[in-house]
Amino acid sequence: MIRLILAGLLRRRWQSTATILAVGLGVGLLFAAVLLQRGLQQGLELGRQRLGADLLVVPATAIVDPDRALFAGSPLNVYMDRGLGDKVKAIPGVRRTETQFFTQSLRLECCSVDTEIRLVGIEAGVVSRLAAMSREGVPSLQSDEVIVGGRLLGGVGKRGSLVELLGGIFKVGFRLEPSGTALDYSILMPIDTARKIAGKSEALQFLWKEAGRPENLISAILVEVESEGDIPRIAEELERIGPVKVIRAGETFQRFKKLTDAFILVLAAAGAITAIGGIVYLVSHFASVAWDRKGEWALYRALGASRSRTVAFVVGEAVVLSGSGAIVGLPLGYAFFCWGLSRLAAQNAFPFVPPSAELLAVAASLAVVLYVLVGIASAAVPAVKVARLEPALTMAQGDID
Amino acid sequence: MVSATTFLEARGVRRSFGTDPILRDVNLCIRSGESVSITGPSGSGKTTLLSILALLLKPDAGEVWVAGSETSSLSDRERSRLRNQFFGYVFQATHLVGSLPVLDNVLVPALIAGSGRGRRDYARSLLAGLGLGNRENHLPHMLSLGQRRRVALARALVLEPPFILADEPTNDLDPRRAGQIAEFLLGLPARGHALVIVTHDRALANEADIRLDLHDGVLRDAAESSDEPSVDETEAAVLHDPFARVRGTTLDDQQ
Repeated sequence: MIRLILAGLLRRRWQSTATILAVGLGVGLLFAAVLLQRGLQQGLELGRQRLGADLLVVPATAIVDPDRALFAGSPLNVYMDRGLGDKVKAIPGVRRTETQFFTQSLRLECCSVDTEIRLVGIEAGVVSRLAAMSREGVPSLQSDEVIVGGRLLGGVGKRGSLVELLGGIFKVGFRLEPSGTALDYSILMPIDTARKIAGKSEALQFLWKEAGRPENLISAILVEVESEGDIPRIAEELERIGPVKVIRAGETFQRFKKLTDAFILVLAAAGAITAIGGIVYLVSHFASVAWDRKGEWALYRALGASRSRTVAFVVGEAVVLSGSGAIVGLPLGYAFFCWGLSRLAAQNAFPFVPPSAELLAVAASLAVVLYVLVGIASAAVPAVKVARLEPALTMAQGDID
Repeated sequence: MVSATTFLEARGVRRSFGTDPILRDVNLCIRSGESVSITGPSGSGKTTLLSILALLLKPDAGEVWVAGSETSSLSDRERSRLRNQFFGYVFQATHLVGSLPVLDNVLVPALIAGSGRGRRDYARSLLAGLGLGNRENHLPHMLSLGQRRRVALARALVLEPPFILADEPTNDLDPRRAGQIAEFLLGLPARGHALVIVTHDRALANEADIRLDLHDGVLRDAAESSDEPSVDETEAAVLHDPFARVRGTTLDDQQ
């Protein structure tokens, strides 16, 4: 049976190739859309988890896009007095604060990384929260240990590896999972260590002349409040403690979520339209092919193929075509996904979690199964119709080519 | 394969297309090793009868018995199995699959039966016996009509079925090719096959053990219907009037 099916397909090489390509494009777009959508959804969730704060306090002079600062982990090379952190802690309703200190940009000489790398000092609380989201995470860092962004030092940045930063030797504490944000290209270290490094850097001396000694400075304060209802009041009080800007995570998150949701919806719609278009095409294609070739099916019936066998011939062709198309479509889709991901990553516009091997396997299997099922469903009805025809009458009507 | 008790029988078979009755109470019994020829003018129902005998078409009334089984009550699967195992059908238009090489075309019934590999050597020997040993990898469009007929004949024989039904197998062939096909077909009963030939060729028809004539849906012994116009006479009569209108003379005037 397989030989007869393959012979039928090879006879119509161009038609078969066109069908395989059409299915392949559909599968590819659907596959890529699913991967991008899932990556964005997971990235958004990860961004929220990483934030772990209700309010972000930055210097009033900071020119900052709140969305990117909060969820894409964009760094802030601006500073404010460390004492503000204590003032924030003292506000009633504030449960917890964490301060961050951004040092400077680096360029890795060994790697082809176009994005600048930021050294960021973080408090112990941030370390433990990031550790919980990394497979290799450890809850605390020694003063000579760093956390490496998910897209840095690939292959050599394992736990315990040594890296040289601004003349000092550091051990890798753990690596973050890739997130599609600026954190992927950041090196995080204990905040006191970051301040020491920054203080010694000749390139940054002009900053310290202006802002004061780095030991007395911070770049941002993450604030977690006792209850959500207190957020407006605490935000107002924070704005009164000094020259700071307060970013409300809830509002920002919601705005960012809406934007991301809209993007995800567009991707989902594109995937759905592609799938529906593919289904309509396959239904019409297989219906017309089955009917046009009824003379051939009737010949097989005349030579002894039962109705169920004839249905299997027609449906088998559809399965081979749609299955082949799906297999062709998967690498196409993955290439399209990689291209889309590189565009998103280049902008650090959306937090993005690259798909795991499991997600890739599941999405690929679903795309293949969906299109094979569509092929079967498309061919089944015309197959049953042609199998019911009287062989002698049908052969008299249809040509066999 | 073929046993002495194998037979094919039609009892009171009727079939109409629309309101036109094509077959009226046709009765026929064919046993292993017999050859039967059916003649009759075009449109008399010969192909319809052959299709009903081969289980390609169901009669409106009557019964078709194959090897002791009445076929109208059989399931499609069982009828299909009988078509595959008991009948070799040589279609008038050959009906070869254009995408398959000659050898695979011959093997189609075996592929359907799931015995393609086991019949490969036999298919080759059939082709060699029919003078097509050097054509097994050719596609049908590369063959002459006579060669395609022989491929169709090999296909009909590949599973060594008890009944070979041939619909005008020598039609459109030159006398030499027609003679080769006729000789091969008429040799089949000696190998145990039952042969039914529908033909306009009187000479071929006369070689059969049983000669039948189909007129207006009624099947008779050809000897009994000798007072009826022969096939050639019928065709001449059909052509007579148009010829006279076009040429202004009659066919007789031209002789």
